[in-house]
Amino acid sequence: MDRLKDLKYLIWFEDLLENADNELVQKAQADGKLAIGYTCYHMPEVLLNVPGCFSVRLRAPRTGSIDIATYYMSNYTCEYARSLLERAIEGGYQFLDAFAGVDACGAMNRCSEHFELLHVNSKPNFFVTHCDIPYKVVDYTIEHDVRQMRKRFLDVLTEKYGVDTSDAAIRKAAEEHNEVCRILTEIGDFRKLDNPPLTGYEYHILNLVSYCCPKYLILPYLRETLEEIKTRVPDPKPWFRARVAIVGSEIDDPSLTKLVEEAGAMVVSDRYCYGSTPGREVIELSDGEDALTQICRHYMEHSECARYISNEKIQQRRDTSDRLAREYRADGIIYEQMKFCDFWAFERPLASHILAEEYGWPVLSIDRPYNARSSGQLRTRFQAFVEALEIKRIQKKGGD
Amino acid sequence: MKYPDPKIYRMKDHMDWDLQKKNLQEFGSIAWQLVKETDWKEFGKKQLKNAALTGKRLADEAKAVKAMTPDERRDLLVNGEKHLGKLYRSGSMATVRREWRGVRDTAVDFGEWAKLWGMLLSSFSKDLVPSLNGATWYRWMISYFCCHSFRDKNLMGLRGTALKMHSELTNDIFRYVAENLVLLMKGDERGGNCRELSKKIVLFDEMTMGQIMAGFPDLVGIPYQLLPVFLLSEIDQLACMPYIDAVESYGLPADTCPVPTSESGACVIDALPHLGACFISSSMPCDGSVMASSYTSRRFKDLPTYHLTFPVRYEDEETLQTGVLEIQNCIKFVEEQTGAKWNWDAYFTAMKRFNDETRFELQKWEVNQTDRPQLIGPTYELFRKWNYEMDGGLDPRILESFKKVNKMMLKAYERREEPWPGKMRHRAIVWSVPAHYYANFSNWLANCWGINVLVEMEGLNFTKPLETEDHQGALEDMARLYERMVMRRHTNGGYDHVLTELWRQVEIWRPELVIMYQHVSCKNMSTLQGMFEDQARERGVRLIWIEHDLMDPRTVSRKDMRAKVNEYMRTVMREEPVDPSLLEFDDESSW
Repeated sequence: MDRLKDLKYLIWFEDLLENADNELVQKAQADGKLAIGYTCYHMPEVLLNVPGCFSVRLRAPRTGSIDIATYYMSNYTCEYARSLLERAIEGGYQFLDAFAGVDACGAMNRCSEHFELLHVNSKPNFFVTHCDIPYKVVDYTIEHDVRQMRKRFLDVLTEKYGVDTSDAAIRKAAEEHNEVCRILTEIGDFRKLDNPPLTGYEYHILNLVSYCCPKYLILPYLRETLEEIKTRVPDPKPWFRARVAIVGSEIDDPSLTKLVEEAGAMVVSDRYCYGSTPGREVIELSDGEDALTQICRHYMEHSECARYISNEKIQQRRDTSDRLAREYRADGIIYEQMKFCDFWAFERPLASHILAEEYGWPVLSIDRPYNARSSGQLRTRFQAFVEALEIKRIQKKGGD
Repeated sequence: MKYPDPKIYRMKDHMDWDLQKKNLQEFGSIAWQLVKETDWKEFGKKQLKNAALTGKRLADEAKAVKAMTPDERRDLLVNGEKHLGKLYRSGSMATVRREWRGVRDTAVDFGEWAKLWGMLLSSFSKDLVPSLNGATWYRWMISYFCCHSFRDKNLMGLRGTALKMHSELTNDIFRYVAENLVLLMKGDERGGNCRELSKKIVLFDEMTMGQIMAGFPDLVGIPYQLLPVFLLSEIDQLACMPYIDAVESYGLPADTCPVPTSESGACVIDALPHLGACFISSSMPCDGSVMASSYTSRRFKDLPTYHLTFPVRYEDEETLQTGVLEIQNCIKFVEEQTGAKWNWDAYFTAMKRFNDETRFELQKWEVNQTDRPQLIGPTYELFRKWNYEMDGGLDPRILESFKKVNKMMLKAYERREEPWPGKMRHRAIVWSVPAHYYANFSNWLANCWGINVLVEMEGLNFTKPLETEDHQGALEDMARLYERMVMRRHTNGGYDHVLTELWRQVEIWRPELVIMYQHVSCKNMSTLQGMFEDQARERGVRLIWIEHDLMDPRTVSRKDMRAKVNEYMRTVMREEPVDPSLLEFDDESSW
């Protein structure tokens, strides 16, 4: 693998992901813009990008010890939430002007509460939101979501910083957001090809920088990268032995994708939090209804979060996994969850069985640490899964 | 109308006798296999050993009595024994004998014990065959045979009025359990298969409150997993392990809370009865619990389900309207599924009763906040939770119990009685996810170290009187009530509800110790562990952290839980126990 000519900006993009407070974030702040941190898809990214603000989806790259966060949040809780807290305590999120949090899962909610309790950010106007997120998608829960976003985030943004959060401002943010989505969707579609001109790892990097950098600053580079990929010549023969779709909970660590690809499987679809599904779908706004309502509806309907417990959302999650695996022509599905995540802990076993037994997919079901790169156990499991997929293909060919 | 309506027990069963025959054959073959696989020689040896141990115990007890002074003998006769650790025997499920509480209290205890048996027999005789049959279908039914043991262990060491009050409360809970077990087995397709009853049954998800059923007096609301899983585990801590193992084999990680884990496991191995017109699943009280409902939906694909979900940030009154709509839609769903009509009069009647019960509850708190607490301990706490969320004012008999018990309590207060006479050293409150029942912990704290648990977090819930006149106001209050259900009241809506709330309660109850149950799998609580430590130090509040894993004693055994307190009391408090026989004993296999 990796015999493709390097993408022009790949190494720089990788560097941008080494720090939450990267050079583009610093540049945007120097331009006078406000940095709004967030983690969860339930908080519509586009609202955080109203003129004068930009969103930074928080990660804790290069996490080492998380002892202090473990003291506060104990050791049987989500490592992602603990890593963010550790980074916050270290001062890694001091650059933020606000944290747009949602009360969706226990661990992340507590993490953001610790941001307040431990005063991890000393900016005088820094604030943390705790938006109440519904468990199902019906008319009145969408209205509830709209009220929460307005009251707990947008109005506070206006009150603290004088930011314009009008309908016009939200629509402007949506335009820029949609351009990012269109580019990433177009790039992502190359993964459907027999011999794609990019790897799953590269796509992961591109997608992550789009979440972690100010949109207006990263867009020119994404546009250029799209053009580069259009003319990029793939290896004569595909470098991978199998194609897999990854489904499940939060992955902000591209080295996990690398680990899978080193085992011989190309990651062709990324249906996980911080992936492109959900997150990189264009938001179609009509003029007949206010933008905020349409955006909240879009996010709630597109969400694949295991927290939605109504039967139709459960079915949607299974169908989406199946649809993506088919569309991107995967040979199998890796169903993963962050260790100690209760939502996905329950969702994963059941969905893994159903995708295997009812949808007919070969499924590898795993739980994983936040930092998966050094996990020998995972590497072995990925390798074994790739072999199993190859054997299935050979058997199928023999059968034909 | 009589409660519960006697008509529902008289509805005709349609038992599938072919199915029963097959099941009995399977049951018989398992029993026969057990008989064949039993090492009877070893069994015989064990019986002989037990007989020898019993002989030795009797001799020792006789010797001890002989060695007593006349005053000590008189004290034993009047006030009962003081070394309760002797009642446990390593490897035994039951205690070696009943507790000797002194002549008068032993007579009271026997009377109440007999009354409990009478109540159970009369309840089950309402439709005995399906219930008996259920014991051959569901292994969890067998654990209910040890319910007397549960009563006894929770009442250990109690004397005087406290013994009577706790017995009264136990009877109320057990009557509810017995009556609902009969209905579960009667309606179950594999049991009585009473279709007429099944169509009237609305099943509720774990911990979902029952008040909504007050508006449907012709229907029966049953908390679905309460009897096969949750309450069962409190009676017999070892009972849920097969469920946990089943779902972990299925792929669930071992770090999840054993409550939703057990419920999901029960679905995986098909251990829940098949019945009901519909199921109300809920988003309460935590992430794991939310997810368990997907296992129920998977097992019972044809059971119409309503997902009753409330805002998490419930203090924000702007979220209330969503809660009200949820209640309204849930009512509509039940109407559609059952054909019943919501009855405001019936609802208001029950809620007036519930408001009266809440007033009585507040009276208990008032007494327990004084220097002479009366109704304290695990039975009271269990009753409080059960009344708040399961009974909810529906059963008129419970208000009578409240009146009776509160009358006794006030008299005992005036007489300056002590629930555990001579053993009361420290005031304590329980915080976080409690484990009194599984481990008989509050009772042990009182008997071994004189630590008296005045109140526990889960009992401190919504006490505002509910609206009983205006429809809109009533819906709003119902939403507020449901949002503040047991556990959810504290774990949802932000740290203020559990962290800052503890310091508020410490001001009110003036405890010397806070028993901090550290449920290792409860993410909502453990994610605040460090803040509890920091803020307790700042305020000079003593926390005793006790790790546990609810109904999975394999993670943390009861003995290990007790060791934490022993260590703290000796090293930090520099005290010796009230009853040294309870410091170390083996109850690993006991109910």
